[in-house]
Amino acid sequence: MSDTILNVSDLHASYGPLSVLRGLNFEVNEGQVVVILGANGAGKTTTLRSICQMCDTEGSITLRGTDISSKGTADIIRLGVGHVPQGRGTFAELSVIDNLLIGSYTRSDDGVQADIDRWFEMFPILAERRDQLAGSLSGGEQQMLAVARALMSRPELLLLDEPSLGLAPIIVEQLFETLQRLNKEDGLTMLLVEQNANLALSMADHGYVIESGLIALEGSAQALMTDPAVQAAYLGA
Amino acid sequence: MDLTLLLQRLFDAVFNGGIYASLALALVIIYRATGRFNFAQGEMATFAAFVSFLLLTGPRPFLRGGSVVGLIPGVPWPIPLAVLGAVLFGIVSGAATERILIRRLERKPDIASVNVTIGLLLTLNALTAELWGTGGRFFPAVFPAGPDDHLLIGGARLRFTSIGVWLTLLILVLLLVLLMQRTKPGLAFRAMSTNRASAELHGINIGRTLAAGWALAAGIGALAATLSANSVLLEPSMMLRVLIFSLAAATLGGLDSPKGAVVGGMIVALSQTLVPAYVPFVGNELSLLPAVIMMLLVLLIRPAGLFGTEQVERV
Ligand SMILES: Nc1ncnc2c1ncn2[C@@H]1O[C@H](COP(=O)(O)OP(=O)(O)OP(=O)(O)O)[C@@H](O)[C@H]1O
Ligand SMILES: [Mg+2]
Repeated sequence: MSDTILNVSDLHASYGPLSVLRGLNFEVNEGQVVVILGANGAGKTTTLRSICQMCDTEGSITLRGTDISSKGTADIIRLGVGHVPQGRGTFAELSVIDNLLIGSYTRSDDGVQADIDRWFEMFPILAERRDQLAGSLSGGEQQMLAVARALMSRPELLLLDEPSLGLAPIIVEQLFETLQRLNKEDGLTMLLVEQNANLALSMADHGYVIESGLIALEGSAQALMTDPAVQAAYLGA
Repeated sequence: MDLTLLLQRLFDAVFNGGIYASLALALVIIYRATGRFNFAQGEMATFAAFVSFLLLTGPRPFLRGGSVVGLIPGVPWPIPLAVLGAVLFGIVSGAATERILIRRLERKPDIASVNVTIGLLLTLNALTAELWGTGGRFFPAVFPAGPDDHLLIGGARLRFTSIGVWLTLLILVLLLVLLMQRTKPGLAFRAMSTNRASAELHGINIGRTLAAGWALAAGIGALAATLSANSVLLEPSMMLRVLIFSLAAATLGGLDSPKGAVVGGMIVALSQTLVPAYVPFVGNELSLLPAVIMMLLVLLIRPAGLFGTEQVERV
């Protein structure tokens, strides 16, 4: 039995008067890839944003046993959470290399350059564009930059919000291969929100399906892949 | 055309240009941090200049605050230290203003912050007048300003104070660029001004970075006010006109560009001196007019200004 990195219980979240999450319970264990599926507007993004306290939440969220539900966003990041937001979070007016350096903002060790080299090797197009303004990258390139930037902080837990959005199929495949390698080789724990359910479940250990702010279904990735309801709704079977 | 006279007019603009550029620099820093103008930038600077004045004179009868300042070791201070004191006061009070007042307006519409900084302008102006009166006070020159302290170039006089102001300004810009481009707090500031939500997702403390921006801007403003106090006399409204010219300079240069602030400051000062001199129907009283017209034209033709960033983000 592996350690629990993230535990969320009875999570409610709202934007002002609009309540979006209505009591979620889930957890992510060390070294796992956990996927969250759900229709548009189900509350997937809100779930990830809640973990980083980017919206009003109630309920308990613990990171390695520490309650983080009353901490500020920046402090939660410093505790080892990386977040690739939906919409990519590009620093458009800054260069690609500056974007990566921002990713390493919370670090003070001297391995930053080595990490930059590593992600440049993984995403060669970023190396080619290192001094270009990030806002001038294509959508797919910005998505790679978002992943690389989040990884620059050497997170223990990486939250990914639809990383495949807007990417060409071949790039999506490469990206997921990369993510899988990070999981297997570096033991990076991930909480992944994805529309591409097939791909996501194929690399995940466990999954949850959110419907209108509640967990409608949960199970091992294999079980979900063969679940008729999931197949009908998300796998196009 | 009398070339010596033209040269003299150019030289006359140099000093003002440096002052406008400095305050414009402060406005640009706040604009980059918050996307808003701090209309009280000039009055905050004036207040700091009065603090500097207290440090220079020490306890005196009829000078409010003098006895408080008298508790500080060594007061009265010599002018360089007193200028430094004003800058430090600016830095501390700038950060405090952000924390206490401005942060509450973060999520409010733009107009709320416009109203509050204009309110702060009026309040500080009134407070300064209440504390120290509206009469102009002599403030010593920071750089040599005697009748012979100038270079003679082509028969025209370039005063040492003008050279001093520009040297100060150039060093300031250099330090600012180094701070922004080469240091971690600078990177945090640039990240915050480009994409605040994303900056927070990389562990950048937005509150602290904002306060630092306000501190920096107010420190620069305090420097501008102490440098100009000798030529305009120290009085509560001394920075009001400067603020208008600096707003024009910042707009002209591109609201988010330090380089633009410097070039804009010089252009505005030149227009202020040259237009009334050579355009018959613009009198000296209307010296503000060309700056305002230029500001209007820039906003209409090229809102990003001469050096400002145009939006490059793709969707
Ligand atoms: N900033 C916001 N302010 C107000 N309401 C919001 C905000 N963001 C999301 N919502 C609402 O919250 C609900 C859930 O949104 P959320 O973004 O979490 O959905 P999602 O599952 O990520 O959808 P998608 O697949 O389209 O990304 C939606 O009804 C949406 O309208
Ligand atoms: Mg979403």
